[in-house]
Amino acid sequence: MEYGIFVHDVAPLPRDPRAVCAASWREILPPGTLRAIYFGSEFCEFLLPDAVQVARYCVHARDAGVEAVLMTPVATPNGLVRIKKLLSNLTAAGDTPAIVFNDWGVASLLRESFPALERRAGRLINRGIRDPRLMEKEPLSNNSGERGKRLRTMLAGFGVSALETDPDLEGGFLGDGCEGMQRVLYLPYAFAASSRNCLIKADSALTIDECFTKGLNSPCSGLCRGESHRIDRSDTDLPLWRAGNTVFFEVPKSRAEVYLAQADRIVIYERPTP
Amino acid sequence: MKILAPLRHSDEVVPLLEAGADEFFCGLTPPDWQARFGQAWANRRAPQSAGVPDSADFEQIVACAEGRPVYVALNAPGYPSGAVEILASFGADLLSGGAAGLIVADTDLLLALVEAGHGSYLHLSSLATCSNNEAAKFYRDLGIRRIILPRHLTLNEIESIVIPDLEFETFLLNDGCVFEEGLCATTHAAGSFCTMDGEGDEAVSPETRERYAFWKWTLNHCGCRTGNDYPMGPCGLCAIPRLLRAGIASFKVVGREASLPRKEASVRIAALALRLAREGAGPEEIRQAVIDLRGSPQMCAERHLCYYPDLWEQKESLCSRG
Repeated sequence: MEYGIFVHDVAPLPRDPRAVCAASWREILPPGTLRAIYFGSEFCEFLLPDAVQVARYCVHARDAGVEAVLMTPVATPNGLVRIKKLLSNLTAAGDTPAIVFNDWGVASLLRESFPALERRAGRLINRGIRDPRLMEKEPLSNNSGERGKRLRTMLAGFGVSALETDPDLEGGFLGDGCEGMQRVLYLPYAFAASSRNCLIKADSALTIDECFTKGLNSPCSGLCRGESHRIDRSDTDLPLWRAGNTVFFEVPKSRAEVYLAQADRIVIYERPTP
Repeated sequence: MKILAPLRHSDEVVPLLEAGADEFFCGLTPPDWQARFGQAWANRRAPQSAGVPDSADFEQIVACAEGRPVYVALNAPGYPSGAVEILASFGADLLSGGAAGLIVADTDLLLALVEAGHGSYLHLSSLATCSNNEAAKFYRDLGIRRIILPRHLTLNEIESIVIPDLEFETFLLNDGCVFEEGLCATTHAAGSFCTMDGEGDEAVSPETRERYAFWKWTLNHCGCRTGNDYPMGPCGLCAIPRLLRAGIASFKVVGREASLPRKEASVRIAALALRLAREGAGPEEIRQAVIDLRGSPQMCAERHLCYYPDLWEQKESLCSRG
């Protein structure tokens, strides 16, 4: 098994990547070597780093002898422009991180305009159910590998090098590896729901006219960067967090173990991160 | 430039045609689905409360529609192993049986139907979250016919996403969604996850929580209220002129599970707004016509129900500059 760690800043990397997560998780994670650092944002275009920040992460990865992986989110038209500009600046400067895409528009942009950058399919390409209210109730699935087969074939045909996901209810999304893509599992948090109608963004708004639907045109300064907080709900016993525009939960270990059997790489998040 | 109306039974077709519907969508679950796949749904809404009862009633719907297109939603965001083959075959049968198209979200099902030669009958569900023009090109290259845009887009964004050689559909009336529907990985089979969201979240200020609760209330039809029997939920009627100019082909009235009276009222007011827009009316004139029917002018004045509130931002800034 190899590992990646999602990082929030340039800081020393642990010798054992499992050190990033809680002891209870270390017990079920196999030993392995750190091979990559992940950074960027999967859920919010306002949280994308700029080219200078990405360059710092790339230098950090190079110094540590690991791969640099930039995560990109679902993109609005403005978001897509921002991503294109970021990638142009990076390639012009000679920084070539692998790119995780979570949007078919970003995938097309990468294929057509930045073919030299390694492309990895992110967790939002998997739209399977991850309902925290059902995660402990529904039976574990058979992981037959049939699920998502056409999608994986198409991705491999597009030159995508890896398929990445958090554990969902159905299992089997990563397949048996026959398409030749690396299979990557995110732990220990899965996302439950995400939105542009961000509660945290609204919390910094001055008037109701900058909140939710009315605030879609308003910029966001990304005050949530690196932050998350626990939320409690009476309809699930699983621990939940709000991080920026997304609600996450800690995946039950039994469900993570089903997916572990399919994974070539585990990416560990120290805390829930949009 | 069509009004797309929701259906759950053949009895609804004629009244909705009379109210002004130009085309229809419904949900239908393959026989024996539940025995094989349990709680997993074949489309995004509950089969019991929002679905057409069976294939016989679907045939009746097609007959009653008198040539108007009827689309069938097979738009769950993802499916269990083994389901895609069954749904691809079921979808082919529906097309043979008179369905004008299939509404699909899951990429694997989409690819299976494209492989089977049905690409030109496919509508991409809003659940697939096509939110930029490069994504639209990606789907166009797969050969699909129509993209249903996600709810939470501004008018500028919609204008930027629309590309040639594809039809586009936007939300027009009813049934908001707190999260981005395509990025909500929960299922209504376990109840609406968003209903409780934000409650007791002490990291968020009480004022913001109160605003959030109010906004959610508007998305839920102001607590399921009506104004003069017209629905009091999310509404994009005043934006029709601009959406028409952007090239939107179809306007979606949401709510398959709603009562027939609510559906009729929704289609009637939508058809009125579309007629006014075709006759050259602007947003203000349409808004006044809507208020005359629905009442509650304050909800319009303060943009609480707007799917596309940015319509008025531009006008307000022009006014303030003038």
